[in-house]
Amino acid sequence: MESTLLSISNWLITSAFFILLVALVPLSISIRSGKKRFENTAIIMTVVAFVMQLGYFILRWTATGHAPVSNMYEFIATFSIMLILGYLITYHYYKTKVLGLFAIPVSLLLIAYGSLFSTDVNPLIPSLQSNWLAIHVITVSISYGILSMSAVAGFIYLLKAIPLNEKSWRARTLEMIMAGIVIVLVYIGTTLVMQGAVGYSDEFMYTDQRGETMVADYHLPSLVNYAEAIPVEHVGDNQYEQVDHFHAGIDLPPVINSQSLNTVLWSLILGTLVYGILRLILRKRLFAFVKPLANKADLNLMDEIGYRSVIIGFPLFALGGIFFAAIWAQIAWSRFWGWDPKETWAFITFMFYTIFLHLRLNRGYEGEKSAWLAVVGFLLILFNLIAINLIVAGLHSYA
Amino acid sequence: MELNEIECASCGHVNPPGTQLCQSCGKMINSDYDKKKIKDLMRYDGSAIRSKTRSRSIFDKIWIFFTSIKVGVSIILLIAVAASVGTLFPQEYFIPVGADPLQYYTEHYGTLGRLYYELGFHNLYSSWWFILLMGMLALSIISASIDRGVPLYKSLKNPRAKKHPTFYRRQRLNLHDADSGSIAGVIEGLKKKGYKVKSEGRHHLLEKGRLSRWGPYINHTGLILLLFGSMLRFFPGMYVDELIYITEGETVQLPETEGEYYVENNEFIVDIYEEGGSVFDETLQNTNEVITSNYQTDITFYENQNVDVVGAQPDLQKVEDYSIRVNHPYRFDQFELYQSSYDNSQMKSMTFQLEDSNEQVIGEPFTIDLDDPDRTYDVGDGMEVNMRAYAPDFVEIDDNGALISQTPVATNPAFVFEVTDGDSSELSLLQIMLSTDITQDNEYNVRFVENENHMATVLTLKKDLTLPIIATGFGIFLIGLFIGSYINHRRIWINDEDGFSIGAHTNKNYFGLKKDIDPVLKENGYDEIFDRDATDFDEGVIIGEEK
Repeated sequence: MESTLLSISNWLITSAFFILLVALVPLSISIRSGKKRFENTAIIMTVVAFVMQLGYFILRWTATGHAPVSNMYEFIATFSIMLILGYLITYHYYKTKVLGLFAIPVSLLLIAYGSLFSTDVNPLIPSLQSNWLAIHVITVSISYGILSMSAVAGFIYLLKAIPLNEKSWRARTLEMIMAGIVIVLVYIGTTLVMQGAVGYSDEFMYTDQRGETMVADYHLPSLVNYAEAIPVEHVGDNQYEQVDHFHAGIDLPPVINSQSLNTVLWSLILGTLVYGILRLILRKRLFAFVKPLANKADLNLMDEIGYRSVIIGFPLFALGGIFFAAIWAQIAWSRFWGWDPKETWAFITFMFYTIFLHLRLNRGYEGEKSAWLAVVGFLLILFNLIAINLIVAGLHSYA
Repeated sequence: MELNEIECASCGHVNPPGTQLCQSCGKMINSDYDKKKIKDLMRYDGSAIRSKTRSRSIFDKIWIFFTSIKVGVSIILLIAVAASVGTLFPQEYFIPVGADPLQYYTEHYGTLGRLYYELGFHNLYSSWWFILLMGMLALSIISASIDRGVPLYKSLKNPRAKKHPTFYRRQRLNLHDADSGSIAGVIEGLKKKGYKVKSEGRHHLLEKGRLSRWGPYINHTGLILLLFGSMLRFFPGMYVDELIYITEGETVQLPETEGEYYVENNEFIVDIYEEGGSVFDETLQNTNEVITSNYQTDITFYENQNVDVVGAQPDLQKVEDYSIRVNHPYRFDQFELYQSSYDNSQMKSMTFQLEDSNEQVIGEPFTIDLDDPDRTYDVGDGMEVNMRAYAPDFVEIDDNGALISQTPVATNPAFVFEVTDGDSSELSLLQIMLSTDITQDNEYNVRFVENENHMATVLTLKKDLTLPIIATGFGIFLIGLFIGSYINHRRIWINDEDGFSIGAHTNKNYFGLKKDIDPVLKENGYDEIFDRDATDFDEGVIIGEEK
């Protein structure tokens, strides 16, 4: 029974992914032609996909008995669903199509990235066994979804406002964001190929910082590794045998998660390589190819969306990310605030949007300045959602 | 800037120094205001802001410093950057208990780690400079709120409906029409949308959502309360945070309760997830790690009836049994007991077996209770083992041959055993993993068989009387934030002095304001309201700072 629900749930979220992907076609046609028919098709498809994603959420919840927000895959999937919700809310008020053309791909990119983590369902460790898990994480996700609309609107604003061949820091920074997207795409691509299709797997046995023996499974050739790691092979029943694996020879202390770093290095190297080749072939900045999509946007409207989504999202973030979080921390860990890395970065995100609002209200940071800040805010959210859990060991590193 | 009162040339109203828009009719009376400092003239309807008008005395200068948004934002930025530095390496309270910090940081994080420690970043959030930054933020919030709250109150308290024609033209949304016939219809239409109307002759002011303007002041008040509450923690009696270590079966007195309460640890339980037909089976098969499902201490809670009798033995009266689990603390009085961790590293007993030199077993194995060892163990077969010396936490043998113990806790026990068969006896020293003969040519050997450990729970005893204040502070902050963000203050001025004139202002969301006004204007036969900022629609003009 439960496993059937899980299968349906997984099928729903996969199908929703493809529906959203296909919905981009009528959406871009409607922007070009202005035909209402295509716009309606695209929006209906997005709504259907969102309902299916909600179905994924509810069925997975029913199957496991707890809200599906307990590991990395589930966090990222929830975030990407809330991005679609954020877009639908924005569309309801402002009827903007261009925003969808950017928001939907961001959501797709995220969910593709998230599905590289283990998609298995986990039982809950004791500290997570609380109703506050659902209340806290869902509120934060909704606020993230809305706050992200600010960044998407800001990005569109920048694409339109910044001239293509300008020799300036702003044009270069915008192009760096494009390079970043290429690197993420390359990362998703290589992981799918090496882990899925090729099945590359080199195991290394090492001692972690707590002094426990662990086994790291490298899906990419080892460039960096844990100090004194031994290349091994699993021979069944938790028994390992020493073998030979490729290793470039850089060893790092166990404080650093070498396996993650190895993946990051490969993504950077391959991503930069792909980016360089693209630049050589196309002989243009990459944002030249997305800029035409943004040119249909109304700058004033993008600025308005950028501001309003912060105004709507920020109080929700303060409620879910600080207040609910503090209540739960008090119940589970006996202190409402403890400067754990994740808590600290939620605080930093909170402070950042405070700065955004004060600069906007009192120092006239509108238009381009506000757009840049909105983009930085999104990077902070991503950092807090993903990087903190992976890099920094703390109470929140569940994945 | 002149500090003289300003008389409005248009209506004759006398305004306080520093006023920009006449408080009575809204005409610009002081055009030499600093455009860099004041972005939105309409924010306080041109009322004078203290920090923008006076700058003579030292007090003025300090006031200007703390009320400055630039300074406020810089403080917030500094706090955020400092907070991020604190996550570079773990803070001291995250490193293993008892580890030497300097050694730990240097060993784990190298030179950078050492520097981190030397700079005091291992205790960043309680450092004097971080707390000082927080204090400066509080000062900034208080002074900026007063600086702007007073003129805001003045401008909102008793708004005048009659405004000068230039006031209308200065609004982002405005419209003039020669035909003033439908003014009543417009007012009626807007009234239906919840606007309150104030009329002065032919002039009308329609307003809604004024509460929104107080949002920032409410939320700043909440923040001040919160910061105040977090300082209270340093007052004695407000805050208790103690770790309680209880071995299974033991009853301990709770500290900080003046001997009134006792807790007995009946049993400590760790449950793990096991495969068995649940949806998690596959995950459990795939992982090598053990996933814990429950940490639980079954306690009995006692109250001491003799607490007021000086020198009396405690008379424990059972209050109740409770199972403390993570997320389910036990509450009593103003205290809470939380499941924090557990410890099974301490040995409870050790079991030995006597053997001869051919490793042949002699007699029965014997067990030594490490907390309360016996002197003599009769192992049968006419053999006896006497314990001649015992050190629970053995360091060395002193000159007299006695065993020296570092602590009374059984972490590294050592024994001197005397084995006797009634006729002769021999001595040997036993330590963990090590057995040394003391007498020559020993015939017998005492072999270690197994040990049993104590299961101890670690509970956190917590009292935090600052909690209600901090929670109220943050609650007020949130209410203010939602009021300021989700409600819009919309004002519309209408008159038919010279044809039909309408001007409209909102603190945010002009889009929504237009959605209020345009349908009403249309119903009454007027054009859409003019939006000064909508003219660059689709032309790629970057919105400038001056609006």
